[in-house]
Amino acid sequence: MTIPDPAAKTGAAAQPGPAAQADTATQTSSATEAHAAPRPGATPRTEETAAVTPAVPDAAPGTRTAGTRLGIGIGWRAELDLSIARMPGVDWVEVVAENLHAPHLPESLLALREKGMPVLPHAVSLSLGGAEPLDTARVEHLAGLARALDAPLVSDHVCFVRAGGLDSGHLMPLPRTREALDVLVANVRLAQSIVDVPFALENIAALLEWPENELTEEQFLTELTERTGCLLIIDVANLYANARNVRTDPAAFLDGIPWERLAYVHMAGGVERDGVYHDTHAHPVLPQVLDLLAELRRRTDPPGVLLERDDDYPTDTELATELAALRATVER
Amino acid sequence: MNTPAPGGDAMTRKDLAARQAALLETLLTDAPAPSGFDPARLRIEADVLLTKRRKLVAYLRPDLPEALGERFRPLFDAYAAEHPKAVTVRAREYADTFAAWLVSRGDLPKPRWFRRRKR
Repeated sequence: MTIPDPAAKTGAAAQPGPAAQADTATQTSSATEAHAAPRPGATPRTEETAAVTPAVPDAAPGTRTAGTRLGIGIGWRAELDLSIARMPGVDWVEVVAENLHAPHLPESLLALREKGMPVLPHAVSLSLGGAEPLDTARVEHLAGLARALDAPLVSDHVCFVRAGGLDSGHLMPLPRTREALDVLVANVRLAQSIVDVPFALENIAALLEWPENELTEEQFLTELTERTGCLLIIDVANLYANARNVRTDPAAFLDGIPWERLAYVHMAGGVERDGVYHDTHAHPVLPQVLDLLAELRRRTDPPGVLLERDDDYPTDTELATELAALRATVER
Repeated sequence: MNTPAPGGDAMTRKDLAARQAALLETLLTDAPAPSGFDPARLRIEADVLLTKRRKLVAYLRPDLPEALGERFRPLFDAYAAEHPKAVTVRAREYADTFAAWLVSRGDLPKPRWFRRRKR
């Protein structure tokens, strides 16, 4: 989202927002039969469905995880592809769905799949909270990518990006009202009917609040899962951002989330500017955000934790150190 | 926290669509702010969206920041305020239209490929 210096190496391909759809996929590959790639095998445990399965024994009592066991992952970006291939401690990756096309997947990504690494498509442009009709072609693109990657689940965000013919280019918060929830539920159900695998929805970092808000974020997310059966991606950096910027109570949030619906967790770095926390994905993860992950871990054993880094890429060693810190926080 | 807002009429889907559109219009153009939002936060959000779009254009057309240097930012920002990105316009197309706008204003020389494409 924010970003420092226009002259700096850009991560536009990384979290490009809806605007970049189809435009930033430059790598191509002759391999079109990604379907033939083996099932993920190198990871601790894989399961095909979102069926609720028991968490590991040391998780909080009564806590269950939502299925696929992933481990520690990183957001795959073209700028990081060689780093990811040789970096220790990467169990899985997530890709921005709009940047890829099933018939032309990058060689470096296909190589990860051939090694058995799970690759999960994450969309940014479905606008599932938008009150205008859902653009099902975008959902079909996501579904096709999930098939090509043999992905165990797909995802997008609790947000809207298009309205009135304009494209925000970034994830916009929804008013947390009954009506907005009804719209979101209807769109998610339609999206679920198009993709063949479980769908997960992620909490976003909001810089502004709708005056209409009636529900807390945790209430909104809980009702969303109850009404659609969707899974959740909990972005802990976004939770931190919302605690700083829009008065979300992180303890109440963590207490209110239905952890049995957790698909995985996102972690990312950011920076404080003029009293506002910006979720940049271009800075190291703050210690306070790691502390929140530890708080989350007291409530559940997350099936996966993923680091998102989209700009000002650090050295491989620094990235590996961040991944190790995530692992140390959740694996105990 | 997150105290529910008191009262208020229920929003219909149509109202929601209008409110979402009004919010984007405010954030992406100079349209007046919709009621109830914190103006300071609207400015911050608008700046974030502008920065994101500027970076994307610079990524897709690296020749533009290269040619314009420090003028890239103010010129793009002036362009963006009058040309919010429509949903029908692809990102590449948006960047190319900005380039054509620069040429039309004399901020960039007419490149040969551009002349060829003109009828």
